[in-house]
Amino acid sequence: MTPADHSLKIAILALVTLVSSGCVTSRVEDAREGLTGINSGEAVVIMAKSYHLGNETEEKYIRCVEKALARGSEGLNVIPHQEFVDSLFPWFEPRTAPAETKNLPKLMERPGVAEKIAAQSVRYIIWLDGETERVAGGGSLSCAAGPGGGGCFGFAWWQKDSDYNAAVWDLVGLESAGTVSTDVTGTSFLPALVIPIPLIARTQAKACKSLADHLRAFIVNDGSA
Amino acid sequence: MNSGTLPHAETLIIRMPRSRHIAGYAILISRTRNALAGFLLVGLIAGCGSNIVLQFPSIPIPLTEKIPISIGLRMPANFKDYVHKEQVYGREEWSINLGNSNAALFTQLFGYMFEKVTILQASDDPKLLDIDALIEPSIDAFEFSVPNQSKTDSFAVWIRYRIKIYDRNGALVSNWPVSAYGKSQTKSISNSDALQRAAILAMRDAAALIIMKLDETTLVSSLASASTPVTAAPAQAPIAAGADTEEAQTTAVEGEDDDAG
Repeated sequence: MTPADHSLKIAILALVTLVSSGCVTSRVEDAREGLTGINSGEAVVIMAKSYHLGNETEEKYIRCVEKALARGSEGLNVIPHQEFVDSLFPWFEPRTAPAETKNLPKLMERPGVAEKIAAQSVRYIIWLDGETERVAGGGSLSCAAGPGGGGCFGFAWWQKDSDYNAAVWDLVGLESAGTVSTDVTGTSFLPALVIPIPLIARTQAKACKSLADHLRAFIVNDGSA
Repeated sequence: MNSGTLPHAETLIIRMPRSRHIAGYAILISRTRNALAGFLLVGLIAGCGSNIVLQFPSIPIPLTEKIPISIGLRMPANFKDYVHKEQVYGREEWSINLGNSNAALFTQLFGYMFEKVTILQASDDPKLLDIDALIEPSIDAFEFSVPNQSKTDSFAVWIRYRIKIYDRNGALVSNWPVSAYGKSQTKSISNSDALQRAAILAMRDAAALIIMKLDETTLVSSLASASTPVTAAPAQAPIAAGADTEEAQTTAVEGEDDDAG
């Protein structure tokens, strides 16, 4: 393969990547309430706020944030949430989990709770709430198939909003360290002239990455600067 | 003449096989159509119903201290073979077979909660056993919703259990309704898996509530051998061995109507 062929392939790949993603706008912000920081050997756990309270955070999103936080050379030690919940049964079930940091001291006094948390070296619990919603959409697309082949014609679009909030609880100080929130909006398009060409705005994936990156910085940098 | 008849003969020769082919094709098409219709019908019938058999919902060992009494556990027949059937929106029938899962859950749960648990069969007389209390759980209601109904991506399950507690003399001392709720999204798993998961989460929710509130609500620990009976006058409902005493609804230590939290 000549260098020219190689460059052409890269250019085509870049063009396909550019064309096949829809428009996305994102915003991330945090509100710090206390100093943070994490020692080597300490861990975090990602939890979803209770569905008893109407929270709809997707399981897939929680797993995505867990993986994104743990990834890379500067990744945090993340305890899988189900493992944490099982080890502390029944105190972190959707019905029984503490809703506010002021309930933490009483919880830690229960038999075995502080010991189980210490055994897993969990320093922070990160409570996620929010969801990805389709907020608008339109257009029309029709497809047909016959003996000679098939095809689609038309144009469809839809807009999704991924809005998530992460509350960080410090289990050493038994207090709230602050919150990080992200809001990603994106519009996907699906034009079709015989072959449909999806231009998908991956709002949830973007919200996962941006929240995880910001959370890592929020926890690792102590906020004293 | 020959030149005139030959084409006719050729035509005949040609047409005979063609007509047989056409008849053959017609039969083939008809059979294929019938087969397709049959497959479609079977598909429609299969598509109109979902059968779910629940797996055993194991719970972790709770971080709580055991209640120091000896109990008998008597489970009604529907705990061992509970099947819920429901037609949703007049087009889809769901059959949820809870099977033995409730019996397995409550056996494990009370094993974690009490010092000693004796499982009673229908023919056992609890008065002849050395127990401080008899606990009889049952299912009052099972309900669920599918995404079409709730306009979400989730299946939800509600189970209302009833826990009756009798003292050593067979008097009903508590009649506690326990409402549990479980919800599971369908995005990464199939519909039947999501409904099954929602049911298991509802059962786990019930277990968590029972661990947290059973003694506080029913004062079951006060039924220990050395203790005096509960102070408020219970509705006297003597235990008939093997009988389901559904008529005894009022009790001394009645919990709230619905402790769903």
